[in-house]
Amino acid sequence: MLSIKNLQVDIEGKNILQGLDLDVGAGQVHAIMGPNGSGKSTLSHALAGRDGYEVTGGEMLFDGHDLLALDPEQRAHLGIFLGMQYPVELPGVNNMVFMRESLNAIRRARGEEELDAVAFMQRVRDKARLVDLDEKLLKRSVNAGFSGGEKKRNEILQMAMLEPKLAILDETDSGLDIDALRIIAAGVNALRSPERSIILITHYQRLLDYIEPDYVHVIVGGRIVRSGDKELALELEKKGYGWIEEEAAA
Amino acid sequence: MTTADTRPSWFEQLIMLSGPDSPGQSPAWLDNARAQARKTLAELPVPNRKQENWRYSAVEGLLKNSFHPTAGYVPDPQALDPESLLLPSFETYRLVFANGHYVPQLSSSERLPAGVTLGNLRTALGSDSKWIAGWFGQAAGHTEHLFTALNTALANDGALLHVDENIEVDRPIEMIYLNPGQDDASLIQPRNLVVLEAGARATLVERFIGSGKARYFNNNLTEIGLREGATLAHYRVQDESRNAWHLSSLYLSQAQQSRYRGTTLAFGGAWARTEYNAHFRHEGAECVLNGLYTAGDRQLTDFHLDVQHSVPACISRERFKGILYGKGRAVFDGRILVDRQAQHTDAHLTNDNLMLTRDAEVDTKPQLEIYADDVKCSHGTTVGQLDPEQVFYLRSRGIAASAAHRMLCLGFANEIIDSIELQPLRDYAIHRLAITLNEAVARG
Repeated sequence: MLSIKNLQVDIEGKNILQGLDLDVGAGQVHAIMGPNGSGKSTLSHALAGRDGYEVTGGEMLFDGHDLLALDPEQRAHLGIFLGMQYPVELPGVNNMVFMRESLNAIRRARGEEELDAVAFMQRVRDKARLVDLDEKLLKRSVNAGFSGGEKKRNEILQMAMLEPKLAILDETDSGLDIDALRIIAAGVNALRSPERSIILITHYQRLLDYIEPDYVHVIVGGRIVRSGDKELALELEKKGYGWIEEEAAA
Repeated sequence: MTTADTRPSWFEQLIMLSGPDSPGQSPAWLDNARAQARKTLAELPVPNRKQENWRYSAVEGLLKNSFHPTAGYVPDPQALDPESLLLPSFETYRLVFANGHYVPQLSSSERLPAGVTLGNLRTALGSDSKWIAGWFGQAAGHTEHLFTALNTALANDGALLHVDENIEVDRPIEMIYLNPGQDDASLIQPRNLVVLEAGARATLVERFIGSGKARYFNNNLTEIGLREGATLAHYRVQDESRNAWHLSSLYLSQAQQSRYRGTTLAFGGAWARTEYNAHFRHEGAECVLNGLYTAGDRQLTDFHLDVQHSVPACISRERFKGILYGKGRAVFDGRILVDRQAQHTDAHLTNDNLMLTRDAEVDTKPQLEIYADDVKCSHGTTVGQLDPEQVFYLRSRGIAASAAHRMLCLGFANEIIDSIELQPLRDYAIHRLAITLNEAVARG
């Protein structure tokens, strides 16, 4: 489904990803871990097509499409979803109007019929229950004045609404207390399916207690230096990143 | 450069034209007001950029036209496309003016509640003009402002609204000013008077609509008197022709505990300025001014707000938002004066501007002058661009860049639009803003 080869990305002239390789198959959950500044978030933003992330080498193929040739919205139309680490606030933009625009823009791009207001409402209410999001927040401006946990739930709600083929969840666990983490994890687990792949980007092993990955990768210095299964995450939890950084430097 | 020494010749002609009507044609008080205004018109210096009030809004372009009144104009109601004027599902009592002339065929003021007078100035002068005499020119004066004098010197028609004590008008009152233009330089000067007696409540919607590419100068003036405890919600939509000049002069006179809530939506005009003058002389009054404006290529939109607190315990709020694109220009000058005796004043002003292009320009100038020591006052202005993080967020959700820009602009404007309490007008505002935003986004 997703194939990344020798990806190199600069931000403001600084080389962050230095030849990253990753293959994600349909229905798989990959956890990407690594110390701060290793390039985890850069990978997620480069996948979503954010301006300022300059790809200087390598390739990213998604279902055979060259992502580098596509705008962020076109990538979303193909089924890529990025759950943000810091979801931005959109004052004055109604959450429900936003989600309906988003869903219908994607449906239009795929040649599907738009969802009418009634069908949309039904769907958003169902999905809001999945992440235990207060319906009042649907009527407010997107993320404006939401707590950290509410913002993350709103991200997972959008993922549930858009039903992406590939969801990249960028430090979705950061800033969450244990109860909020459980709710988010339950929401994500409910969305696991044989057609849907998930990339979990996280600094801590804790999230992986709740969302069990098929693969765990460690990024150091802009490259994946080690891959394994969930045992690797437990090892990291015990020993920290130091030993793996030393190995990578050696 | 036009200076006081080089007064445009059309002014001189207007001064002559505005000479007294033949005896008995209009009441003496009006003849007197006009005569005073003529004197002012002949004496006051012409605005120029050296005057602080006109520093950012060049009037040379306006003055070099040779405007003349539309005295001979006779409105043809059918040609004015009456259907296109009306907002869907908007039930109002309505006055319609075309090029400043009242059009009874398009107006609708039947079944007005008892105690409500709605009509045009010229007709009223022929019959019941006593109450008008008590208010006319009181708030506006004749001596300080050149364009006020110009309006007064030639005043002969406009809208009138009077609401008796404790009457609540059951529908919004709508005043529509159609400006099809008659030729290249029509001078259109509605002279309006709105008076709410003690405890009265009303909602007023004024809409200025210019057609096509008409070139004209709409120099309208509205005096508003609110007696004790009266409440007026006042909406103004300025959608003049893109070749037009527009100057709205509003003068408020508020008694104790009266409440005025004004909302201006400004989309049109080549050169459009709104001046609000609110002077609190009675305690416990409240004045709220909201505004939303847009300006693109070859457009200047200007707001001058002058709020003076001369007595204690009055409340004023000013909240204005602008979206500028292309080579659009805006001027915002918001002055709040709090005199020494005006303790417990509560006055706040904000002006936010969203610049969609590098070539757009805004001059924003909040001025707080506070001489009392126990007050709550603040002001804040911002000038910014669309946030790339917000744009990326929307695009990552499948929304095209142009649609993302439109959504964020609507979001920016939403605070003002959301404060409109009339659903049909709110719908109109969203629809009208979307047209401008489509133009802005296409312009890039």
